[in-house]
Amino acid sequence: MLITLRPKYSFKVPVEAECINPSLFAEKSTMEIAKLQVWEGNRKRTLSDLFKITRETPNPLEKVTIKIAGDVNKVRRIGSKMSTGEITVNGNAGMHLGEEMKGGIIKVTGNADSWTGSMMKDGTIEIMGDAGDYIGAPYRGSTQGMGGGIIIIHGNAGNEVGCYMKTGLIRIGGNVGQFVGVHMRNGTIQVKGNSEGRAGAQMLKGKIVISGCIPSILPSFTIDRITPTVKVDGEKVEGPFYRFIGDLAENGNGKLFVSKAKNPNLGVFEEYL
Amino acid sequence: MPVVSNVTCPVCGSFCDDIEITVKNDVIVKVKNACAMGEAKFLNYASHRQTKPLIRKNGELVEVSLKEAVQKAAEILASAKYPILYGWSNTSCEAIRVGLELAEEVGGVIDNTSTVCHGPSILSIQDIGISSCTLGQLRHRADLIFYWGSNPWSAHPRHIDRYTTFAEGRFQKSAWRGYLSRLTGILSKKRLHRAVNLGLGRQTPSPPETELRLPSTLLQNKRKMIVVDVRKTRSAEIADYFLQVKPNKDYELLQALRMLVRDEELDVDKVTGIPVETLEEIVEIMIGCELGILFFGLGLTMSQGKHRNIDAALSLVRDLNRRTKFLIMPMRGHFNVTGVNVVFTWQTGYPYAVDFSHGYPRYNPGETSVVDILCRGESDAALVVASDPVAHFPNVAAQKLVEKPLVVIDPQVTPTSIMADVVIPSAFVGIEVEGTAYRMDHVPLPLKKVVEPPTTCLSDKEVLQKILGEVRRLRRNHN
Amino acid sequence: MTQLIIKNGFVYDPLNGIDGEKMDIFTSNGRVVEKVAEKQAKVIDASGMIVMPGGVDIHCHIAGGEVNAGRLLRPEDHFRDVETKTPLTRSGVGRSIPSTFTTGYRYARMGYTTLMNPAMAALEARHTHEELNDTPMVDKATYPLLGDWWFVLEYLRDDMIEECAAHVSWMMTATKGYAIKIVNPGGLEAWGFGNNVRDLYDSVPHFNITPEEIIRGLCKVNKLLNMPHTIHVHTNNLGKPGNYLTALDTMKCVENLASEERPVIHITHCQFCAFKGSDWNTLKSGAEEISKYVNNHSHVTLDMGQVIFTDTTTMTADGPFQYILYQLSGNKWVNHDVETETSAGIVPFRYKRKSFVHATQWSIGLELALLVQDPWRIYLTTDHPNGGPFTSYPKIISWLMSQVAREKMLKKINKRARKNSLLPSIEREYSFYEMATITRAGQARALGLEQKGHLGLGADADIAIYNINPELVDASKKYKRVRDAFQEAAFTIKGGEIVVRDGQVVKSVSGKTFWVNPQVSSTADITSNMKRKFREYWTVEFENYPVPESYLGTSCSIPVEAKV
Repeated sequence: MLITLRPKYSFKVPVEAECINPSLFAEKSTMEIAKLQVWEGNRKRTLSDLFKITRETPNPLEKVTIKIAGDVNKVRRIGSKMSTGEITVNGNAGMHLGEEMKGGIIKVTGNADSWTGSMMKDGTIEIMGDAGDYIGAPYRGSTQGMGGGIIIIHGNAGNEVGCYMKTGLIRIGGNVGQFVGVHMRNGTIQVKGNSEGRAGAQMLKGKIVISGCIPSILPSFTIDRITPTVKVDGEKVEGPFYRFIGDLAENGNGKLFVSKAKNPNLGVFEEYL
Repeated sequence: MPVVSNVTCPVCGSFCDDIEITVKNDVIVKVKNACAMGEAKFLNYASHRQTKPLIRKNGELVEVSLKEAVQKAAEILASAKYPILYGWSNTSCEAIRVGLELAEEVGGVIDNTSTVCHGPSILSIQDIGISSCTLGQLRHRADLIFYWGSNPWSAHPRHIDRYTTFAEGRFQKSAWRGYLSRLTGILSKKRLHRAVNLGLGRQTPSPPETELRLPSTLLQNKRKMIVVDVRKTRSAEIADYFLQVKPNKDYELLQALRMLVRDEELDVDKVTGIPVETLEEIVEIMIGCELGILFFGLGLTMSQGKHRNIDAALSLVRDLNRRTKFLIMPMRGHFNVTGVNVVFTWQTGYPYAVDFSHGYPRYNPGETSVVDILCRGESDAALVVASDPVAHFPNVAAQKLVEKPLVVIDPQVTPTSIMADVVIPSAFVGIEVEGTAYRMDHVPLPLKKVVEPPTTCLSDKEVLQKILGEVRRLRRNHN
Repeated sequence: MTQLIIKNGFVYDPLNGIDGEKMDIFTSNGRVVEKVAEKQAKVIDASGMIVMPGGVDIHCHIAGGEVNAGRLLRPEDHFRDVETKTPLTRSGVGRSIPSTFTTGYRYARMGYTTLMNPAMAALEARHTHEELNDTPMVDKATYPLLGDWWFVLEYLRDDMIEECAAHVSWMMTATKGYAIKIVNPGGLEAWGFGNNVRDLYDSVPHFNITPEEIIRGLCKVNKLLNMPHTIHVHTNNLGKPGNYLTALDTMKCVENLASEERPVIHITHCQFCAFKGSDWNTLKSGAEEISKYVNNHSHVTLDMGQVIFTDTTTMTADGPFQYILYQLSGNKWVNHDVETETSAGIVPFRYKRKSFVHATQWSIGLELALLVQDPWRIYLTTDHPNGGPFTSYPKIISWLMSQVAREKMLKKINKRARKNSLLPSIEREYSFYEMATITRAGQARALGLEQKGHLGLGADADIAIYNINPELVDASKKYKRVRDAFQEAAFTIKGGEIVVRDGQVVKSVSGKTFWVNPQVSSTADITSNMKRKFREYWTVEFENYPVPESYLGTSCSIPVEAKV
């Protein structure tokens, strides 16, 4: 079953639409879907006030796919808590995409905003463009970060990717901002591009792999060895890499891998090996 | 002439409450005990003032009745889909309480100036917690005082004198004498340097800013003060030691100190240019003190790393408590910015950036904070109370703010009020109106009324109540 | 003014000895009266329902500096539990540290109408009162923390009881306080430099006084001032294995100050100081020893401090205890020391069923309530939010009223804790009459609140009606039904007005703030002495310290004739 949502106009104020969820749509008729409640700023609206809804391939047994045709960068919490099915956004998606997601797939052809995959437990999110800050992060004050699943960002991501991450995998095709893997408890983050620094700050466990440049390593990390390759989700990534252990200021035992070739400035650490 | 004593000073977060004010014919003529900032406020508060409500008509701000201004303000707020209500740190808790009720009624986002000052500090407190105290605790007990990224000598002029290094407490003596002898030393060194230059007829390099060896005073068993900053401020000059950190490298320095507190070794010889030996000595002093305090300012919260800098500072202090007693406190700026966090929190659970658009409080700075909302161009109206965002926000945010209908309640004429669509001048809280405000250490104190406000100026609280009443009337009629 | 007739309910009014009798209650002008004319009155049909005085909570942290610091600390506690604005009520957030409005509404929904906020730093009294003003639906009062106040330490050290009493009376008036609160006496002063006291006989650093002397001294002061409540004590060594001995020492040390069978000390959240054993691994319940002592001595009252298996937020003025809790849990930690007066600490905490220590704590609380024979001397609390949020009171009610309910939970807890638990050997089940005693009548009596906790003539018309028929429902078996009934009152009446109906707030009222105003003879001397020392001790001016009466939403002062 394919349900297509087309924005009726360009949204100005934030729209909250956690009802855009394949698990929820699955049990509903088109009429019922149209009546689902969303917020436009402080006004209650129905989904059909904001979107033109069309339903194709009426086979009810098939998994639900929701296609959003158009830019929804103001629409927040798309796919929040979804557990099955698929959402495709042809355009940019708003904040909290796939928040607390438990399964299924979300694909965005454009960019995603901050808190993408926040607190997600399982499933896959794939962003073809860039993403904002706090990818996979928990809610303010909580230590319960990403607890499973996969987030793939083909472009760049902002600061604090994988904040308080517990398990799962985040892959960034481009560059990341500062504090990738901050307070990380476990799990894996791979950055194919550069990091703006402070990677692995206050991490306790887990693995961060940076194949690009990094301006410096935090003083609370210690060099451990040089390794030719590193495994990310079963795949071999070619190095060589400097392997650092930290964050020792937190008595942490996280592993930070940084490309040797791209970071000649880190050569000074070799004397400690 | 009547003298009003024990007046609290509505300027900075030190919130001194021992000001004596002489009033003649309902005009303040003399101010005692206040610092230069406080004195200037009490004597000149009324110099840039507009006392009549204004509404923009055909592009011009024209005088109108209070009723008309209130009505217009209420219409703007009630019809907005995503209004923001911003400011609040320079008004009383009583006004803030009404502000929150208004925000809830109109389904808006209410935020205060901590969003652009110590908001990051709050975010990291929510991750780590905070080991803190009231200021008197430090006056009596602290023998090691850090000011990090904060310059109290200029921004909180009486802070050192009233609460820390130069204050006299039950268990700690004032370090005033030590400072005097040090000052004499500095002055004579400067004089000598000048004389040498004059004598030689050329410039010799002046002594380095950061002395890498710690002065002997730091090792003595008495009250001492250390300043950490990117440049040698006035506060640094009077400190026992000044530790110069490279711009935007505070996080690295803090993490290095944390390592040393845990007896871990560092892989490097220098951290942000400071030799590890120096850091080791400093950590030894930290561990060896009876009670240490780390005050931090915007130099730490607003430099690169923002709330994670504070994260590291809070963790450092927490870890030090395993070895001695150590406390930490943000140097809050506006006199009631602490109070605004306090009132927001008891009414909504959250200290700033509270979004009522769904009928209940939601909080997520970055998403529900006004600067971010403005930069994304999401709001469609604004109320600004006792604040001047046009002067202080990033350009984009200020621009978006004035593009949409804007209501300002402020006793002063500000760049924001000049750009507004409705201006309702109010009375100066703490001078013309009484109320409650909170000192930076969460101690609540009364604000006094010293002189009468102009007859056309109501308090912020009264103006807000009128707008709230009008909004409710509009809603009733609408339904 | 509204007049009400509550018809045909089963009335439980222990202070007047009424035990489930079917009768009508009349209210007029906010008071219980003998009769009102049916024509002018609103009639509530309470047939098949229980009618009790409104609930009274002797110890719940609901307002002030530490509570608010807890709110600020825990956005993750709030964001999934919200209250939406209605035409009658303000919005808010909940869970373990609800915002002020939500606190008021949720208590009222459970039929509670009077709350005691037990920890107020005197220097921050204005803050507590501002929050209490914003806590609707209930009457309230707050206890200033005085056990580590320098004036108290110095006067008691010098054996100047009367001067001490005079200063405490000044403080009570200045802070608009209700009772003398003592938390880890001497320990908080020591915490100023990161230390603590070991036991009742350890000397407080720099002050040459022992915790025992502080407790005895303030107990005497309390009597001299003729305070309505006893001293309200959070013992030394709270939360440490073996501390039941400290609790017993604390009760014993004021034994000879008692007279006429009247209590002179209240040991609060007793569960937290009823630990036997030498470390966490050998932890055992000290409930038997404590209840034995209490059963044989009439000078002590207790409240439970029951633990609930949930995520909550611990907050006390006991700075050193909170630091230990931080070290045990590794959770975020707030500390707030207050000059010359006290300290405070906050740590989020999760009590887990499968944890030996937590499960043992759960058992201890219930054991205390069941082994103390006289329900007039133990009160139902969780030390909200320390043992769990107040919204879990109905759960505790069901455990106390039903052995089956207890057994069901016992099966789910840590095995070793279950083996050690005394609960399987206890058959006692509370009756509705006893339940009314430990949730309202006893608490009102202990507090000396003469208008509260009963439905006799002249009592405040604060009434809770629960939809449960004691003739038809066997609480022992149908404990879930009991729990549901106490969770959402059918009616809550506050000051003679219906404020809650079927668990929903139907009217918002603001409630009064009680404070004790001791009448002492020599106020002038105290004032001049305080003035002299003020700048030396505090960083605020004398004149700016006291909370003026006008600051209280609805002030209700209770004058007492002091003997100084």
